[in-house]
Amino acid sequence: YPLFQRGGPQLRIFRPNFFMLAVRPGVPQPEDTVQFRVSMEMTKVDIRNYLERIYNVPVAAVRTRIQYGANNKRNHRNQRVKKPDYKVAYVQLGQGQTFQFPNLFPEKEQDAETRPFDDFRDKYMEKEKQKQEGDPRRGGVPDWFGL
Amino acid sequence: MAALGAWRLLRPGRRWFSETVPGAPSPPGSPLYPPVVASITAKSKAGKLRRQQRFIERVHAAATVEEKLRLYGKLQRPKYMVYPQTFALNADRWYRSFTRTVLVPGMPPRAAAAKPPAAAAGATPEACRAPEPGAEAPAAAEAPAAAKTPEPAAGEAPYVDIGELRSLACDALLQESFYQKKKRPFLYRDQDHTPGPFLTQLVSTLAASLSGRNPLLAASSLDLNPEVNYYWHHGEEVVVHGHRKGRVDPVRFQIDDNPHLQIRVPKQLPEVVPLESDLGDVPVIDHKPSKLPLFKKQYENKVFIGSKVADPCCYGHTQFHLLPDKLKRERFIRERLEDQIEVVYRSNGIASLFAWTAAQAMYQGFWSEADVTRPFVSQAVVTDGKYFAFFCYQLNTLALSAETIKNNPRKNICWGTDSKPLYDVVEDGHVKGFNDEVLLQLVRFLLNRPKEL
Repeated sequence: YPLFQRGGPQLRIFRPNFFMLAVRPGVPQPEDTVQFRVSMEMTKVDIRNYLERIYNVPVAAVRTRIQYGANNKRNHRNQRVKKPDYKVAYVQLGQGQTFQFPNLFPEKEQDAETRPFDDFRDKYMEKEKQKQEGDPRRGGVPDWFGL
Repeated sequence: MAALGAWRLLRPGRRWFSETVPGAPSPPGSPLYPPVVASITAKSKAGKLRRQQRFIERVHAAATVEEKLRLYGKLQRPKYMVYPQTFALNADRWYRSFTRTVLVPGMPPRAAAAKPPAAAAGATPEACRAPEPGAEAPAAAEAPAAAKTPEPAAGEAPYVDIGELRSLACDALLQESFYQKKKRPFLYRDQDHTPGPFLTQLVSTLAASLSGRNPLLAASSLDLNPEVNYYWHHGEEVVVHGHRKGRVDPVRFQIDDNPHLQIRVPKQLPEVVPLESDLGDVPVIDHKPSKLPLFKKQYENKVFIGSKVADPCCYGHTQFHLLPDKLKRERFIRERLEDQIEVVYRSNGIASLFAWTAAQAMYQGFWSEADVTRPFVSQAVVTDGKYFAFFCYQLNTLALSAETIKNNPRKNICWGTDSKPLYDVVEDGHVKGFNDEVLLQLVRFLLNRPKEL
């Protein structure tokens, strides 16, 4: 950004090119804390203004850190492959609001058709596996082994 | 043949394969072998327990309090630094869970029954003799005074002259803010410029004028910008990174506080409620303290009340805290965090008073394995120059570590008020809107003393 000096114009960004990704926290966070992955160039002030102006979310506090992406993996040419760095923002909501990251993959409830089909399929797979294994009395020894 | 030989060997009286002195019976009742206990050096849970037991016995057996404190804080590990004056949101709830404190709004009710207001005028000579401090007379006289608007009833004039104290307070305020010519305060140094010296002046003049009424104040010691430190364990966590990964460690905390002023006295303030009383609930927070945010560092584990152990004034009376520029009211209002203003006062009161009372208890030889047998009471005033909040803390338990907290029903109690302004504005050499209640509460705090005096 252009450096601000006293008497100069206030920096205003219209139609910002940033986007913020809300993620599920890896470790449990307090109820009023939301975790975001943001662009590396965003500052705490930017994040606060972004949420307050565009989404009307009351923000009480913002803390950021930069997560270093590891550089240990190697590709087929033995070159190191870097995972990208990203900035993580922990936003504490104001006015007593809370946020819980939703469960994006809920268990689909099975209707009358799929349940017996699933049971039939499981039983069939079990029978196939039994056929493959062979006689349990032989204790895992293959059947070509013998006199 | 072999059987005969064996039989001959087994004949009694031929004990050639074992040496026993005949005719020396073993002492009755004592075991033949030393007790079977866990090893001290083995890498096992039983061994760890035995080492902990040895450490506890070593601290119990220490001859002096200094030796106990030295052993208590000997092992240095990364610990959370708890700052009483913090900008963290809802910090007072977290601090109450760390220190097992119950917050009761308002001030504690005074011990003696309230005398009837009509008897206030005639009762002043008895009030002088009564053990209850001046809270009685002003409190009883305030009820009729509130009904009729003039200044507090003349019946209490010989005991506590509120007009004189008000003039003292206004003098100090005007001297600092109006009469004295000061340059503009440096950036973010507003609090050191005017409210700091005003608070010092106010407290020293009030304490000096009230020491005639309260002999405890006459024997007290007023510290300027002292240091108060306390180190304790609470709860358990698993170590995440490093060579000690996977081990279960106690969560360590350290408070390093610098109150603006402090009054230490040689005698303990009386207890407000009995030791085992339960006045509320302690908030339970499942998350790690680092989510507050709270940060870890490793340095000296210090326990200090403001003076060393040998000082005769080893009990605390009142602390005075000045809020820094970072936690100004205007800043919170500008960021639309009005509810956090009171949180700042409360977190400061709870954390500072817990550290002070717990350090006083450690100076008397109590610690988490040897819990306090009598409650430790102290008071604090948190201010930002204009708004005053009053806190009274009773420490009932020091046993906050993971093993000792399991069977510990006691909780520490903190009474606290909201912040009230002492005056509205200072204009042209006059103080507008002076609030007598705040001054009266301050006077009550300073006049608080044990029942014998």
